[in-house]
Amino acid sequence: MEQMQKTDVIVTAGVTKVYEADGVPVNALNGIDLTIRSGEFTALVGPSGSGKTTFLNIISGLDGPTEGSVWLAGKVLSEMSGNELSDFRRDNIGFVFQAYNLIPVLTVEENVEYIMLLAGVPKAERHDRVIAMLEAVGLAGVADRTPTQLSGGQQQRVAIARAMVSEPQIILADEPTANLDSKTGADLLEMMRHLNTETGMTFIFSTHDPMVMEGATRLITLRDGRIDTDETK
Amino acid sequence: MSWILIKLAWRNIFRNKRRTLIASIAIGIGLAALIFVDALMIGMAENMVRTATASFLGDAQIHQVGFRDVQEVSLTIQALDEVTTGLAQEEIVEHFTQRVLTSGMITSPANVSAIVLVGVHPPTEKFLSQIDDAITEGVYFEDESSRDIVIGAKLAETLEIGLGDRVVVTVAQAESGDLSQEMFRISGIYQFAGEEMNSGMAFVRIEKAREMLAIGNAAHEIVIKFTSLAYAQDPTLPFWETYSEHGNEVLSWTELMSQLTAILEMTQYSKYIMGAILFGVVVFGIINTLFMSLYERMFEFGVLRAVGTRPFGMARVILFEAGALAIVSIGLGAILGFVLTAVFAHVGIDYTGIEMTGVTMQEAIRPIMKVEQFFIYPVWLFIFTIIAGLYPARYAAKMSPAAAMRRSF
Repeated sequence: MEQMQKTDVIVTAGVTKVYEADGVPVNALNGIDLTIRSGEFTALVGPSGSGKTTFLNIISGLDGPTEGSVWLAGKVLSEMSGNELSDFRRDNIGFVFQAYNLIPVLTVEENVEYIMLLAGVPKAERHDRVIAMLEAVGLAGVADRTPTQLSGGQQQRVAIARAMVSEPQIILADEPTANLDSKTGADLLEMMRHLNTETGMTFIFSTHDPMVMEGATRLITLRDGRIDTDETK
Repeated sequence: MSWILIKLAWRNIFRNKRRTLIASIAIGIGLAALIFVDALMIGMAENMVRTATASFLGDAQIHQVGFRDVQEVSLTIQALDEVTTGLAQEEIVEHFTQRVLTSGMITSPANVSAIVLVGVHPPTEKFLSQIDDAITEGVYFEDESSRDIVIGAKLAETLEIGLGDRVVVTVAQAESGDLSQEMFRISGIYQFAGEEMNSGMAFVRIEKAREMLAIGNAAHEIVIKFTSLAYAQDPTLPFWETYSEHGNEVLSWTELMSQLTAILEMTQYSKYIMGAILFGVVVFGIINTLFMSLYERMFEFGVLRAVGTRPFGMARVILFEAGALAIVSIGLGAILGFVLTAVFAHVGIDYTGIEMTGVTMQEAIRPIMKVEQFFIYPVWLFIFTIIAGLYPARYAAKMSPAAAMRRSF
């Protein structure tokens, strides 16, 4: 990895993942070599079972590869302990999940500040950053509400605020528009595109949504656990 | 950091209110049962001790060494005047009385029976025994007559006599061993719950008993009532040494009724065993509840892990939930235990007439609440709950975030 560029935030080399399903080995990923650079707005596409989810799990350290290596922000994930991985995700990766991604018993403010609490950010700073982030995603004034008091689109905005509030290098989003109507989805996508441009954060989506594919600056198609196509717009 | 996890845990247990309520009631019933059983056992022990000490035994007794073993009438208390003068000045002694004891024979025109003849001093004896309260016919030494005798209902039945009838009592004198006979008139008949006292004892004035036994002003037994029963169980008091001189011995009720003491100690063990069983049931209930809650929120746990919560942080969420469940359960259990115990303390549980280890219950058992019951058992329950939470906590800590969120990333 000596030749890894400063702007390379994710590098995978020969990443393979084999699952055991009822005793039968299933190859979810077959030797993926990929480099994602800082500030990219990348969409991972492909049919169900193509390996998008498995790939996102592995590059975020939520799961380990059967073979191969993953470098994320210059660190080899397989060399980290459980605690180191947790801290690394907290500091470097923001997650936006498809649905049910907020903790329903916490208020919007508590959901957004949770990661900063883990990082030990002082209370006053946490509060200021939460309010600023909620304003940035167009949700000023909902800090005291619970997620169930918000619409689906608002919940995803809160999830984006949570993902971005600690200023991570990478945002990983799993089908972020799948449960939203097209207008809300478009607004959300526009907002993420704007944040990407403003902050230079790297966004990686897994998606089936043509609108997301269209908005992406790079489109990687997975098929049968391999990279089928890789286009930069 | 811990604060948000505590908040999360506390709010989580109220997400499924019905399940939390059912689990808390189940755990609370365990706690309430433990509080109640403990209170009942304390009540039973106090009842037995009170029955044993108040009915005839007293809190402590003084005899000449050896008297209790052989019941020899010549073994009277040494330095009696010094002993009684000392007792009268003891601050911890509320009352004391002297007794003369001997075995003898009581004869009626119809029958004859072996008895223990007890010479009592009625004015002080009334503070140390309940014979006067147990009189069902006649009176308890109200006349000045030295020939009055008070006997149990069962003995009266055996002798086929009633109030005012005459009986002859025969005893052996102390020094000579000569037989001494006196005629008495039945002035009172008592009915005790204990059969032994009803059928095998007769009471006369102490002066008459002394005269029959030719023992002068001596006494075989001094029965003591302390200002607090706790003194009887405090072996560090100088009292015990002071009155164990001159060849006398002073024994507390715990030594006089060692079998009762042993039984009371045994009840402590049975309480611990019951507590262990109850807590065992509670532990599995808690594990089940926590796992149900954990499986229900698997995705959320995956999210928490994904966003950077360390494995130990996940374990803490579960442990805090266990603690929160314990707090709710303790609240419910303490209220339930209080109400249950208070109700039975008011109405009592009727064990009257039932004999245990030589003590016949004279009154209903009333559970006795102690502050410790609402402190020690809840603390134990809390500790057990946390221990029970360790297994699901370990599971949560070791859970793979990817597996937990298998339906997403």
